[in-house]
Amino acid sequence: MAETRVPAERRYQAEIEALRNGDGGERPPGWALTPRAVVAYVLGTDVPVGGVTITPKYVGDRALVEVAVATLASDRALLLAGEPGTAKSWLSEHLSAAISGTSALVVQGTAGTSEEHVKYGWNYALLLAEGPSPRALVASPILRAMRDGKVARFEEITRTSQEVQDALISILSEKQIAIPELGEVVSAQGGFNVLATANTRDRGVNEMSAALKRRFNFVVVPVVTDLEQEIRIVKKREEELRGDYQVGAPAPDEVARLLVTMFQELRAGVTKDGKTKVKAPGAVLSTAEAISVLFQSGILSRSFGSGTVGPSELARALVGAVAKEGDSDLKAVREYVETVAKGRDGIWKAFGSAARAALKAP
Amino acid sequence: MSVAERVHLFPVRHHSPRASLVLGAMLDRISPEVVLVEGPSDADPLLPMLVHADTAPPIALLAYRTDGVPASSVWPFAAYSPEYVAVRWALAHGRRARFIDVSAAQSLAHDRGRRADDDDGGAGRGGVGSDDEPRGPRGSVWDPVVERSGFRSFDELWEARFEAPEHAEADFREMLRELALSVRGATLLREDGETRARDAIMRAAIERAVEQGAAPEQIVAVLGAAHVAAIVSGDVDPSASELLERTVPTAMTIIPYSFPRLAEQTGYGAGNRAPYYYQRAYDARGDYGRATLEVLVDFTDHLRLRGFSVSLADTLEAYRLACRLAEVRDKSGPGLDEVREASIATLCRGESAHVDGFLWSSVIGRSVGRVAKGLGRGSLQEEFWTTVRAFKLPETDEAIAVSLKLADKTQLSASTFLHRLRVLEIPYATLAGVRTTPGAGAWRGGAGAGGGGRDVERGGFEQLARVREGWQCQWTPATEMALVERIVLGESLRAAAERSLEQRLRERRSVGDAADVLVDAVMTNATGTVALALAACDALAAHDDDLVSLARACRALAGLVSYGSARKELGMDERVLVPLLAKTFARATLRLPVAASVGDADEAKAVGGAMRVLAELATTQAAVVDRDELVEELGDVGRSFGVHPRCAGTAAGLLLLSRWWDDAVLARELSLRLSATSEPGKTAEFLSGFLEVNALAIVKSHDVVAIVDAYLQSLSDEAFRDAVPMLRRALADLGKTERRYLVESVIAVRGHARRGDAREAARLVTAADAAALEAASEDIQKAMDDLDDLL
Ligand SMILES: Nc1ncnc2c1ncn2[C@@H]1O[C@H](COP(=O)(O)OP(=O)(O)OP(=O)(O)O)[C@@H](O)[C@H]1O
Ligand SMILES: [Mg+2]
Repeated sequence: MAETRVPAERRYQAEIEALRNGDGGERPPGWALTPRAVVAYVLGTDVPVGGVTITPKYVGDRALVEVAVATLASDRALLLAGEPGTAKSWLSEHLSAAISGTSALVVQGTAGTSEEHVKYGWNYALLLAEGPSPRALVASPILRAMRDGKVARFEEITRTSQEVQDALISILSEKQIAIPELGEVVSAQGGFNVLATANTRDRGVNEMSAALKRRFNFVVVPVVTDLEQEIRIVKKREEELRGDYQVGAPAPDEVARLLVTMFQELRAGVTKDGKTKVKAPGAVLSTAEAISVLFQSGILSRSFGSGTVGPSELARALVGAVAKEGDSDLKAVREYVETVAKGRDGIWKAFGSAARAALKAP
Repeated sequence: MSVAERVHLFPVRHHSPRASLVLGAMLDRISPEVVLVEGPSDADPLLPMLVHADTAPPIALLAYRTDGVPASSVWPFAAYSPEYVAVRWALAHGRRARFIDVSAAQSLAHDRGRRADDDDGGAGRGGVGSDDEPRGPRGSVWDPVVERSGFRSFDELWEARFEAPEHAEADFREMLRELALSVRGATLLREDGETRARDAIMRAAIERAVEQGAAPEQIVAVLGAAHVAAIVSGDVDPSASELLERTVPTAMTIIPYSFPRLAEQTGYGAGNRAPYYYQRAYDARGDYGRATLEVLVDFTDHLRLRGFSVSLADTLEAYRLACRLAEVRDKSGPGLDEVREASIATLCRGESAHVDGFLWSSVIGRSVGRVAKGLGRGSLQEEFWTTVRAFKLPETDEAIAVSLKLADKTQLSASTFLHRLRVLEIPYATLAGVRTTPGAGAWRGGAGAGGGGRDVERGGFEQLARVREGWQCQWTPATEMALVERIVLGESLRAAAERSLEQRLRERRSVGDAADVLVDAVMTNATGTVALALAACDALAAHDDDLVSLARACRALAGLVSYGSARKELGMDERVLVPLLAKTFARATLRLPVAASVGDADEAKAVGGAMRVLAELATTQAAVVDRDELVEELGDVGRSFGVHPRCAGTAAGLLLLSRWWDDAVLARELSLRLSATSEPGKTAEFLSGFLEVNALAIVKSHDVVAIVDAYLQSLSDEAFRDAVPMLRRALADLGKTERRYLVESVIAVRGHARRGDAREAARLVTAADAAALEAASEDIQKAMDDLDDLL
């Protein structure tokens, strides 16, 4: 299997270089590209730049990306907020890759994240042996980003403790980190900024302190509601995944369409024609989840099926994905199959019976 | 080069501050003798008033037909509309100014314009030359231009390329001409005869000005860019003007206009997304950065007022973000889109709802313009404004709630004033909430007592019972336009209202209509009409066959009998009203059986509503009306198998509820009806009507529920299946509470008097019916889902 988690800056190195050479405009200090080229990198371009095709990474509103990029070029940090699976982390990775040439300076926010993870810690063996020294210092991704003038990523910022958030306030307002043990103060170089993501299902954004909020500009990454657009995203990302992992099989258009239609209807709690109410599942049927279900269907068809992705592979992948969310979501899917899928023609019928079978299987 | 091309042609986009600024500079430079402006040529006499020192835009020229055909047109102006700036410059410098577009008399003859009270706020024929922008089925001719530019809309393109950057005069004119020429081909393809005619008319007017002795270099002509493009490309056909030759009698005036209405004009021709923002930009002499900062400060204040924690640091950050966004977008400076996006990200922490919800109105603005005194303002307009000010009613173009206590004499007069406007259909105030004296209308049945909604809309009975009225007031230019138009009805609001009521009275077809007029006459204090309407009611009451209309009249008359006192200055005479009510009621009672024999379900519903009204009045007006007669007729209807089953159901329900039938009678009648199992559809209709009366009382009655339950159990599987859709409909109107009581009653009836345990109830009910449901048709499945929902 090929190396699958190639960071964006490596994977799209050629695009980034072409954009760098192609835009002679003014770059903010520390930036690898001009803001406009960053936008072009994220959204893709109609015409190749310097002979290199710039592929779209994020599919969505241009203004959203522009506001994100303009913010990162400012004194304020950026918070991408939104429902799960709306490409917040994905955007964060690509933005930092294009701006700083690295997406690797990441703090993963959890309840256990400590101040060390946002400032610095020590290598205790060295600390005991040599006392405080630059060698013994373990710099956090944020400290490194400050030193090198890069964008630090902070995933799921709202899951961290109050102390960590408070520490971040002082970092963001002073743009420096003092290391009293070394008698040193690290000041941010041009190009430093923080790009955080937060999941609105966590309800944490509201609990962020006003002081911390004031250090950020907020960009809400929306759930895609346009059917055609989401189908495009799902197909494109599934194909890329298939390329990365070298497994699976392509799905016919109608399978992807069925899947995305179903997800959108379940999310909305009502069918597209507005006529039938459906029970919305508790878990989020995100775009990311749709991508993964389609990808799984491809794998199933290779391992157990005919080699092409049809309604039965889709049904099994779907049930597998939903089952992990628990019984109530399975019930929602069952109801959907009974009330909606059954009444439709063509592939829906086949999907309906396949899903019923998959739902019966233990 | 034609003569017309040798004058200084200045192409404009209407309501563009940049065009006005550039034009202003050009006028100062050239200092022309004559200024020709796109605008209706018959409005020339109004020019001095238009730019009078006491006139404050936004204002509009209003033209309306005076031959009785209701048609009018408006031409709105902001202080920064280039046409306005041109006229103001000319008159301030003692030069000649003239409107050169097709006259209103011609354009109103050509298309009948729009009613002033259209809900678009009466933008008329799109205002100043908005037909410069032909729209075909495939959208605007500008779409390809916008697409090529990479901007999201024409408005954004315009702002970024034309509006925000500083332009030298020559460059600006050239750019705009280029823009217009670039879509000219497409425009012509759409073959718009009217535009071509206007091209010809305006060119001819320019040539005439030259013939009359002005040197072409001494003439500045301010025209929509598309017309300039037509003239410079020499593509004007003089004969095209024939299309607009015909004229009709018209009059013209100037009315106040407002920023919110200006913002409704969209498109290339006159688009203006945010009139107040552009006003700021104009006042800052085209400095959009400054306008942006001002708006952001304004937003900050609004947010703070609403308790959001935002600081001036946020404001500055939003400003910086707006500027940086403009840079990313290759714009010379921030504009409206940047204002919006930067405030969302910075001030509103990502919540676009705040911007759309309440902030945006401060870039649109709320201002209403003012017209200098002395312009023969119509007497209705005068009266309107004097009254609005005297009563301190809202004067702005935003919806404001007004509450009037009718016990207060002044507030009662204000109410009369608003009702006159309502009767005259002058859009200004709409009636909101109902608060009635205790007891009035308390007798209302389950699902919507008949015609209630209509009463609220139109005044009517509910209205009479009020001690307090809630109104939503909002002045819009349409108010003004209607005031101008209604002058044909009378010189004062009172006279006009009376006239309009009398017209309605002449057109009335039933006693119900006449009674509606009567109530409106009382509300508007139209003494003369009250007498006429009473006479009309009296004349019609004896002959009207329509039960619904008769019941409506009874209701109105009863309202006057009981509550007319709140407006007693009318001196309504009980000696007239009481016998009239008795007579109308008797007629209605008499018509009951015939009316109940309708075939159509909707009609049956209406008849049911009428029966409910009559039953109500039999109680509340017991001293006046003949109750026994009504009970008798209702009894006949309730027992009859010939009438519409729904009506029979309603009658039975009313009889039960008023205790005119006791449980034993009801039980007998109900089982009789329900045992006719051959037609479950009819039975369900009967139940619908029955439940409609007072569902709660009925579902709580164990006796009633027992009879119905027994009936349902007696049905064969097949008959039950057939009945299900109807039953669903019959039960569909039940609310949550009623459904709960129904289930409880069923359980009680079946001998399981365990209250409160819904799950248990569901088990019992479903278990008992399991056999019938086994055949599970889709409908039954759905019915069970409903049952699920209600538990
Ligand atoms: N609009 C979109 N354009 C491109 N890819 C998308 C889009 N929406 C979702 N995706 C894809 O879906 C996946 C989303 O994953 P990502 O982890 O970025 O979501 P997230 O918003 O960070 O979710 P979470 O809140 O759960 O962390 C990525 O593979 C991404 O490519
Ligand atoms: Mg994420």
